[in-house]
Amino acid sequence: MDLTLSIQQRQIRRMARQFAKTELAPIAKEIDEEGRFPWEAVEKMGALNFFGMQAPRRYGGAELDSISYCLVIEEISRLCASMGLMLAVHNSVVVFPLNQFGSDEQKAKFLPPLASGEKIGAFCLTEPNAGSDAMAIESTAIRDGDSYIVNANKIFVTNGGVADTLIVFVSVNPEDVKKGFSAILVERGTPGFEVGLLENNCGMRANPVTSIVLTDCRVPRTNLLGREGDGFKVAMAALDTGRIGIAAQAVGIAQGALDVSLKYAKERIQFRVPLARHQAIQMMLADMGTMVEAARLLTLKAAHVRDQGGDLSGPSAMAKLFAGRTASKVASMGVQIHGGYGYSKDYPIERYFRDARVTEIYEGTNEIQQIVIARELLKGGED
Amino acid sequence: MEIIVCIKQVVAGDRVKIDPRTYSLVRSAESSHINPFDLFALDMAVQLRKKYAGSITALTMGPKISEEVLWEALSLGADRAILLSDPRCAASDTLATSYVLGMGIRKIGRFDLILCGMRTTDGDTGQVGPQLAEELNLPHIGNVEKVEGERGLLRIERLTDGFREILEVSLPALLTVSPRRTVRLASLIEIQDAFTRCSIESWNLEDLKADPAKAGISGSGTWVEGLTPLTQEKSCVLIEGDPRQQAKSLLKKLIERNLLS
Repeated sequence: MDLTLSIQQRQIRRMARQFAKTELAPIAKEIDEEGRFPWEAVEKMGALNFFGMQAPRRYGGAELDSISYCLVIEEISRLCASMGLMLAVHNSVVVFPLNQFGSDEQKAKFLPPLASGEKIGAFCLTEPNAGSDAMAIESTAIRDGDSYIVNANKIFVTNGGVADTLIVFVSVNPEDVKKGFSAILVERGTPGFEVGLLENNCGMRANPVTSIVLTDCRVPRTNLLGREGDGFKVAMAALDTGRIGIAAQAVGIAQGALDVSLKYAKERIQFRVPLARHQAIQMMLADMGTMVEAARLLTLKAAHVRDQGGDLSGPSAMAKLFAGRTASKVASMGVQIHGGYGYSKDYPIERYFRDARVTEIYEGTNEIQQIVIARELLKGGED
Repeated sequence: MEIIVCIKQVVAGDRVKIDPRTYSLVRSAESSHINPFDLFALDMAVQLRKKYAGSITALTMGPKISEEVLWEALSLGADRAILLSDPRCAASDTLATSYVLGMGIRKIGRFDLILCGMRTTDGDTGQVGPQLAEELNLPHIGNVEKVEGERGLLRIERLTDGFREILEVSLPALLTVSPRRTVRLASLIEIQDAFTRCSIESWNLEDLKADPAKAGISGSGTWVEGLTPLTQEKSCVLIEGDPRQQAKSLLKKLIERNLLS
């Protein structure tokens, strides 16, 4: 079993690390405080192909393997979780399902501007009364000639404020939501498309998470992703993949929290020695480092399974569950190491603490991951 | 224009480990990267190729893990990459390094221009460029900012203390490149392409028909006799008083330490 990265993977990680260090680290605090989406950095990320990491070359993508993809997301999230989130959602729950389930015409039309970063993607599943219970959606797409008339009220849409191309989950059959559960591509600017209120979230504040309201939005039938009724399949494939991206993001946040905690522990003097000389702090650092490494290995294992074409549900759910918990736990321990300063906005650890928490919630809560994992465990036969 | 760019793998500043016996740097793939000064040379080569066509060969001497920096050079636009690697090259000083690089360049054969970084972030001697020019009996110009012209004669701009100097040099020549430029990162597609289209050639001393006595420790005119890490003492001084008094007091301290002229 080879657990070393290839030279190519290391080169990719090095480049992403360098980019994050020079372009994102200097603005991470400011864009968090201002709740500002950094278009200037987005343009640069586009030039480096961060928006089409796994998309096919013919559509302008870089065709990365999943491990390399995780390494990029981790390095970006390590210094700026909001941008890690933006890229993870764009790449794994928009570009990926579009490439997987889209027709040739849809791919030719939608993928190139998404892969170049000229357009940003969003994934719209959650509604006021539907989240973990996806089948409770109330959004509809009713056929009308060559179009669907879409009515939807989607909330907590990551990238919502800046997205141009959105995968929206609807039912084409209001009588039987499950049977009619479908995914449809909607473009910003379509009459009836409205970006709703910006969420005043506690973390990931540089990502414009909004509601998206579609009122009698006329969308061409050719925008249906897959066939009518394929929505669940699209959503699950996207989320299985997406969870690896979120796990990588959580690993990045945890690593970032560990980085700043190590730095602080070496600098801060208490009882005439640096904090790092106190055994209580060393024990915390040791646990943090071990958890980060374990989360990373689970995440890369899930990425490896994906690259091998194996069954992804269990590994990706395990990776996300463990990495999300790790991010929260490590960031919380980092606050503890910082003491009173950890509770202040003058130190970055509080941002990691706020950013980490949602990785246990979005793209499937911990509890949903546990359901998926338990289901996978229980369906397995005895060896 | 056929350009050779000499690059070196250096250890990241915060990860320097020294072998206590040989006083040489302990290198690992994780802790090493391309010498930042060499990126300026590579970037100049890419600009020249854009303008005058031709090809770029990246050349380094080092252990096998130095392949990492050659891959980086290929991602950033080099067409060919050659690793000069032989255990007998270990612990070469700049003289021995220049000899081995020179033998590598002789084996490459045809070239118009050799570009080097001004210095490295580890050894920091700034000697390999000029020594390599001597080894190959080539004209050398250091700290070059701008290059124009192609056939036989280059017009060079370099900065010296307070002056912009314009020089002309006949080809082939060796230039060390000023770090006063911005460097770019390779995109994911460029990295992927490098690994698809390129490979790394590895040559040992036999391949180079080099004299082992002139490489490594035996070929070195200098050696490290001792190495002591420097520790920097930092202290924090709190300046008391109202803002005006604080500013006055700060100014006084800065002047006392000759930090303001």
